[in-house]
Amino acid sequence: MAVRLRAVNISTETRLSTGTVATRRLGALAIVMLTVLAVLALIISPEDVNQGSTVRIMYVHVPTIWVAYMAFILTAVCSATYLSGRNRSLGWDRVAGASAEIGVLFVALSLLTGSLWGRITWGTYWVWDARLTSTAFLFITYIGYLAVRRLDGTQRQRARRSSVLALLAVLEIPLVHFSVRLWRSLHQEASVATGGTDVELDDLMLFSLFFGLAAFSVLFVWLLLHRQRMLYLEDAMSSQGLDAAIEARRKEAVR
Amino acid sequence: MDLTPRPSDDVAATPRRKRRWLPMTLIAASLIGGGVVVTQFLTSAIDYYCNVDEIGVREGCDSDRRVRVQGVVEQGSVRKEDGATVFTLGFNGKTLDVTYQGDPGGIFQECISVVAHGRIAAAGFDSDRIEVRHSNQYVEKNETRIDESNEEAAACSLLVE
Amino acid sequence: MEHASFIIGSWVVTALAVGVYAGWIIKRGRDLARRSSDKDFPWT
Repeated sequence: MAVRLRAVNISTETRLSTGTVATRRLGALAIVMLTVLAVLALIISPEDVNQGSTVRIMYVHVPTIWVAYMAFILTAVCSATYLSGRNRSLGWDRVAGASAEIGVLFVALSLLTGSLWGRITWGTYWVWDARLTSTAFLFITYIGYLAVRRLDGTQRQRARRSSVLALLAVLEIPLVHFSVRLWRSLHQEASVATGGTDVELDDLMLFSLFFGLAAFSVLFVWLLLHRQRMLYLEDAMSSQGLDAAIEARRKEAVR
Repeated sequence: MDLTPRPSDDVAATPRRKRRWLPMTLIAASLIGGGVVVTQFLTSAIDYYCNVDEIGVREGCDSDRRVRVQGVVEQGSVRKEDGATVFTLGFNGKTLDVTYQGDPGGIFQECISVVAHGRIAAAGFDSDRIEVRHSNQYVEKNETRIDESNEEAAACSLLVE
Repeated sequence: MEHASFIIGSWVVTALAVGVYAGWIIKRGRDLARRSSDKDFPWT
């Protein structure tokens, strides 16, 4: 009996949240992977011959910008799907919005950790260098995107406006990535995504970095699932509010 | 049909009204922020970026203006003189003597690529800002590697024949 | 560890920011789910 009651409680709990058994497992996996990453990055992985232990910031700095790129590209893909789709499902728009918000958080973290790393390697927190400037511009653009999503209008208007903006904003990503080659830059070039040439990292460093990318990707999927479900609930409630308003006016008119 | 929300306790209808000013402020702030970022980038790009071997050769890399000079700190060239750091910067077979007031900070060391901001003077280059430009290569620091890196360091110098 | 405050600091800042964001998502998700009149969500 007690067991049955507990089962009922858990099922009610699951129903009244944005979580499911699958997202809980995914969340647990993210926590385990991130803990392992912290141990790998801060304790096990070796120091760099030039940078010493400051290279340990790389294992958080690179995955944060990786998540941001991934998030903004997903925003663009979902926006394109929304605009091109026959039924124009608002679900695509919600994933786009959720993804962009997570991207903004991670690009901010990337700027912050990069700035700390810069202080102890380059000797300065910030330079108006091509990579840093273009990343700051990317951050500001997506703040603007999130603001546009909050403008007054129907959910369809919101989806249309933000989809067009997302398709324009994503064009900045290749600019950011190749900025270190296009302009003479203080920022180092890519060590892994070198475009065919040799990978510039030692074995354990490379493993830790790839493990970091995987761990942060799992975290991204978990955040995305919850955030877009939250948006679904917000949209559903505002539609219910609108339906209620229409119903109320109808009653007033009849009276 | 007039659908403007009536004052009510409805949770779905109330928050949007309160926040109407927020998106407009954010959009304005991002437009201004974007403008500031681009302006800063263009202003800092006014300091011409030259490699050591381009000084006096490439247009813009002259003594009458502020420049940024990129090169590798020569092995055995770093010394302190009355609180200033003096070193030789080499690139592509050419060298330049740099004087920087103070300690450059960061991972400044011999055989590392740096960018020095300042002016070309009669006796070299007077710098007021040094940025260390580390490479995209990450190499494990251990005993066997130290020998290799020393060899690399010797190879980095233009002065050591 | 050299520059420990910067290294640990960058990890702590990231962990805190992600933790606070994740906590907010879960809490607000629960609040909205409880307030929603329709309890049949696509994910349940």
